[in-house]
Amino acid sequence: MNCASKGDGRNGRKGRKGRWHAFLTLFLVAVVVPGSSWALEDFVFDVEAFARKPLNLGGFAEMKWEHMDVRRDSVFSRLFFNDDPPTVFDQLTASLQLNGSYTRGIARFSWLLYGSVRENTLGWSDRADVYESNLTLSPSPELTASLGKKSYQWGKGYAWNPAGFINRGKDPNNPEEAREGYITADLEAIRSFSGDLRTVSLTAVVLPVCADVNEDFGDRDNVNLAARLYLLYRDTDIDGIVFSGNSRSTRFGGTFSRNIRSNFAIHGEIAHVPRLNKPTVDQNGGLSRATISATSYLLGVRYLSSFDLTTILEYYHNGAGYSPAEMERFYHLIDNRGVQLSDTGATDLQRDLRQMAAADFTRPNAGQDYLYARLSQKEPLAILYSNAALIAIVNLGDGSYSLTPELTYSGITNWELQMRFSVLNGGALSEYGEKQNRNKLEFRLRYFF
Amino acid sequence: MKNKLSACVIAAILMFVHTTALALDGDAILEELDRRMQPESYEMYRKLINVEPDGRSREFVLYTLKKGQDKMVALFLSPASEKGRATLRLGDNMWLYIPNVGRPIRITSLQSVVGGVFNNSDILRLDFSVEYDVRGATEQEDTYLLDLQAKTSAVAYDHLHMVVDKATLLPITIDCYAASGMLIKTLRYSAIKEFGDGMVRPSVLETDSPLYQGYKSVMLFAGLEKKELADEVFTLDYLSRIDELR
Repeated sequence: MNCASKGDGRNGRKGRKGRWHAFLTLFLVAVVVPGSSWALEDFVFDVEAFARKPLNLGGFAEMKWEHMDVRRDSVFSRLFFNDDPPTVFDQLTASLQLNGSYTRGIARFSWLLYGSVRENTLGWSDRADVYESNLTLSPSPELTASLGKKSYQWGKGYAWNPAGFINRGKDPNNPEEAREGYITADLEAIRSFSGDLRTVSLTAVVLPVCADVNEDFGDRDNVNLAARLYLLYRDTDIDGIVFSGNSRSTRFGGTFSRNIRSNFAIHGEIAHVPRLNKPTVDQNGGLSRATISATSYLLGVRYLSSFDLTTILEYYHNGAGYSPAEMERFYHLIDNRGVQLSDTGATDLQRDLRQMAAADFTRPNAGQDYLYARLSQKEPLAILYSNAALIAIVNLGDGSYSLTPELTYSGITNWELQMRFSVLNGGALSEYGEKQNRNKLEFRLRYFF
Repeated sequence: MKNKLSACVIAAILMFVHTTALALDGDAILEELDRRMQPESYEMYRKLINVEPDGRSREFVLYTLKKGQDKMVALFLSPASEKGRATLRLGDNMWLYIPNVGRPIRITSLQSVVGGVFNNSDILRLDFSVEYDVRGATEQEDTYLLDLQAKTSAVAYDHLHMVVDKATLLPITIDCYAASGMLIKTLRYSAIKEFGDGMVRPSVLETDSPLYQGYKSVMLFAGLEKKELADEVFTLDYLSRIDELR
């Protein structure tokens, strides 16, 4: 032993080599061998550890880095960067989402909080929002009443929900992210039956709009009503939706979804607004408002192939949207230095009109006809818990599009890593051709707790 | 000649009776197996373990409710990334509720919401006799071999070969096939134990698949108890509140 430790270099190397061998053997015995030759006895299930508790907490923490190449000559770049767009735009965001509930008897108080801090090319910003905070009473499985801030997700579309009259607007690029709710009171009744009609449920919602309450929903000092009747009839989900109130005009909608085979489902939505007040840009480049009757609809399919490729296809006609000619007139309006949004020479009325027009024309997918496709391959190259997807959104009116390959890995329990690269393309004066960025690279790391 | 004719008639009658008796036995065996595997209406906890070829594993815990022959719901309790997700099955219809999304979306039975070898139809399995007809039954030394055919194309597996223990009338192994005849996976039940109320059944289900070479998935069953449930629990609007029933 001593000889080995005090011996010549060869012996020393031999000793070190021996120790490495011993270490490697121990490592294999300790780590690899038990892992690869598992036995059923290794698995225990302590069900008591999952007993229900009155207080329930959860959420996630996230870091996201985004890099965009700015299309400096585009209309939206000049609009958002006040005529001095940078070449690239980098952004780092740290965010926290906290959800929880406290249940006692028939009452449950639940909440969803979101906060983020952001550093980007323009500077620092932070925000904190209460997405949801409501009290729910469930005296029986058939009846539920709730009061407080709540998010509604009505409709069957994956990327768009034209019949979601009290939904917060959805980002088609991130349709599964939580969204802020509205302050409401609602009542929900459910009945189940045997036979062709399996389920009937009715949800009635009161949504007030006044000072500091739901001000961003629509016109103030009004109480609005929305109702949804849901049927599961002959294996088909059917919704009838109505909204009435003075904050927004009255509207009617319907949705359906159905499995055709064990790997194929269809869905659709329709929405009709008899009198919609719509900002427009007239032939002379002037801003005005017109009352129109708008019908929107969406048709979609979801298909799972034998090799685990899920395809979602949706066609969306936005009856309240703008034609390519109307979009072009708006781009010319912004392009015209005499009527920039930042100009101070305009009257209050003109400025208001411009702000309204800007909000309408620049919202996601303000055009009339769109195609959405999401091809998602589960566990490509046999990598468990990974997912590769390709997302395309095409404005069928002007032919512009965004194309986003996406890779997600969630192989480490409670961690999720996502990488995306979006390309936005189209001709001059087209929707995606005039966006402020040509592309976007995004890394997102999320930890759930 | 007359004797030969009589013998043929008797043989034909015996063959008919024998075949009918086997078919009847097969149906009876399957229905009894269903009755022994799960009560009419119950709650249950399950742990799903996906084991990868390198030995690493990942665990999911689900709270499950079932009522009648075609109503079932499963709520994820763990890990945190899946907590609050719920899957509902009403007959051939399946939905997935994701808390962030806030609304249920239709899913298909062949998808897997957990990854690994188990798919949605394994997690939300109805009684075998609800989804399959007995196409044939064979008696072996200690077991019955049942040949089961899916009643509709909406069922995840086209046909099953099920080995049933003669003494306990509980399943031992099930080979699941696609319509093409391809073996999709093999399910193996083991560790029979008493769950209370006279319910004695396997507490472990293992599965592997030629489509996932080297991977294994294991399901451990616990806390299986009879529970009275309203039909309204098995509706889309109730999915966000399933946890209140625990």
